[in-house]
Amino acid sequence: MPALSTTPAIHRTVVIDRREAGPGIVVVGLNAPALARATHPGQFVMVVPPGGERAAVALGVYEASSERVSLMVATVGPRTAELVALRVGASLDVLGPLGNGFDLDALGDDVAIVAGGVGLASVLLVAQALASRGTRARLYYGARNAAALVDAELFAELTIPVALATDDGSSGYHGYVTDLLVAARPPSAIAACGPAPMLRSVARIAAERNIPAQLSLEEAFACGVGACWGCAVGIDRASRQAPAFPEPAPGEARAYVHARICKEGPVFWAHELRW
Amino acid sequence: MNGAASEAVGAPELSVRIGSLELRVPTLMGSGCYGSGEEYAPFVDLARIGGVVLKSVTRHPRLGNAPPRLVAVASGMLNAIGLQNPGIDSYLANDVAKFADRPCAVVGSVAGFSVDDYAHVTERLAARDEIDAIELNISCPNVGSEGETFACDPRLARAATRAARAVTRKALIVKLSPNVTDIAAIAREVEDAGADALAVVNTVRGMAIDVDAVRPRLGNISGGLSGAAIRPIAVLAVYEVAQAVRIPIVGQGGIETARDALEFILAGATAVGIGTGNFTDPRAPLAVVEGIRSYLSARGCARITDIIGAANPAFKGV
Repeated sequence: MPALSTTPAIHRTVVIDRREAGPGIVVVGLNAPALARATHPGQFVMVVPPGGERAAVALGVYEASSERVSLMVATVGPRTAELVALRVGASLDVLGPLGNGFDLDALGDDVAIVAGGVGLASVLLVAQALASRGTRARLYYGARNAAALVDAELFAELTIPVALATDDGSSGYHGYVTDLLVAARPPSAIAACGPAPMLRSVARIAAERNIPAQLSLEEAFACGVGACWGCAVGIDRASRQAPAFPEPAPGEARAYVHARICKEGPVFWAHELRW
Repeated sequence: MNGAASEAVGAPELSVRIGSLELRVPTLMGSGCYGSGEEYAPFVDLARIGGVVLKSVTRHPRLGNAPPRLVAVASGMLNAIGLQNPGIDSYLANDVAKFADRPCAVVGSVAGFSVDDYAHVTERLAARDEIDAIELNISCPNVGSEGETFACDPRLARAATRAARAVTRKALIVKLSPNVTDIAAIAREVEDAGADALAVVNTVRGMAIDVDAVRPRLGNISGGLSGAAIRPIAVLAVYEVAQAVRIPIVGQGGIETARDALEFILAGATAVGIGTGNFTDPRAPLAVVEGIRSYLSARGCARITDIIGAANPAFKGV
């Protein structure tokens, strides 16, 4: 992945709209023109907790138009519950845009976008960018059940074909979203975001079929800015995203190093990961 | 100009000395939490944070521990990074020159697995002009028993400190572990061996288990607990150490606000370290400094040194 990062800042934003997208899932719209301009598809922000008591939360930038940025928040604990409860008019400070996003130029002319759960939030900007370029794309989107499949219509509006999958069969294909990928005609490349088991499955399918795949890794961060090295993932030493690191001593030669998901990622080439 | 003049008259003096290290404000960003400072420069004016303690460097390159390296827990977090660093050779060749333009104090951090490691790495790092002082990390809990052994054994703590002291005249801050029976006894050994200051404390050992997956959450199994959860442990450690030694203490452990920092200062700390607190809001150090200033003003104190150890009747003083 070439450097697709931009200089981040602290943005003081105001919640301008709020939409319940699914059970425990809220899309929070923020007035953040500078952040909207600077954000590349696949980048994320660290949200400073409004109560000031808990660690910041990392969220992919979902939408970015001229004045507005939105974030999709799913309630998983007290930190996200605090964000889900935000009302219109509340102020919210966010750090961003952070990390390296998707390399759209390297995806070819027939892109398969794969999203699991709220991983969808990191690929809408990808779909929009591909649509505006006239690049052919399709979405494979999976979730636990029909209620958790949110906002697929935003992709359909881009005239991107959408195939759905649910674990319980309550909507679309009954099974994993990656089954849809296996059954499909081979794409030029894959852009994926979702839980780790889904991404590992995407990586395996991509390797078997020799399809390049860019994966946006979901991870809990501490700093989110590359300072603490807490969000490490093994990566090929030869990768362009590998941090500079000396050769290990003879006898402990290893072909990988640890990259920071928040800094060198969160988007990595699947074939370069050693995880 | 008028603003500057009135500030000079009214504002309490916050500068402190840690050995030969002068800090404009009494805050240091904790090692391993703040990168080299540049990671936070887009968000914070580094001229206002006092200083940054760099990530620890060791004699040889270290890949660090297998992920996961972090777990959020009640009122804090566990980490087990495992001293990932490029080793002193590469560090000196590729990284240290970049620290020259930092508008704050730059404290190098040295970790090791033998007395000779501490001497070797300290000598080479301290020789560089970009480095203002050295923190001796004898208390990393995440690299097997060797890492923390030095902070848990009075003789080894003394030996590592003496070895580092022998090779540099720059301010030498030794970082102690809370995972000991008598931290004051270790502190006395380290003071006697020639340390200029003590950092009190490093993280508290802990672990978390994923009950669904039936396995430890950290790749390293155990980790270091930081954040608000350990603040009372750290405050007591500072209180006890401050009764045992005369050298300055950098108090740290779960500091997020000025009132947190003041607990440490009143217990006997000359300066405070902020680590995990930066993960909540990078502006936390600025709020800590402003809050200390307001506290001093409200009490009519002209300088921070007036309140160091004020809540500690047996404070031996600097």
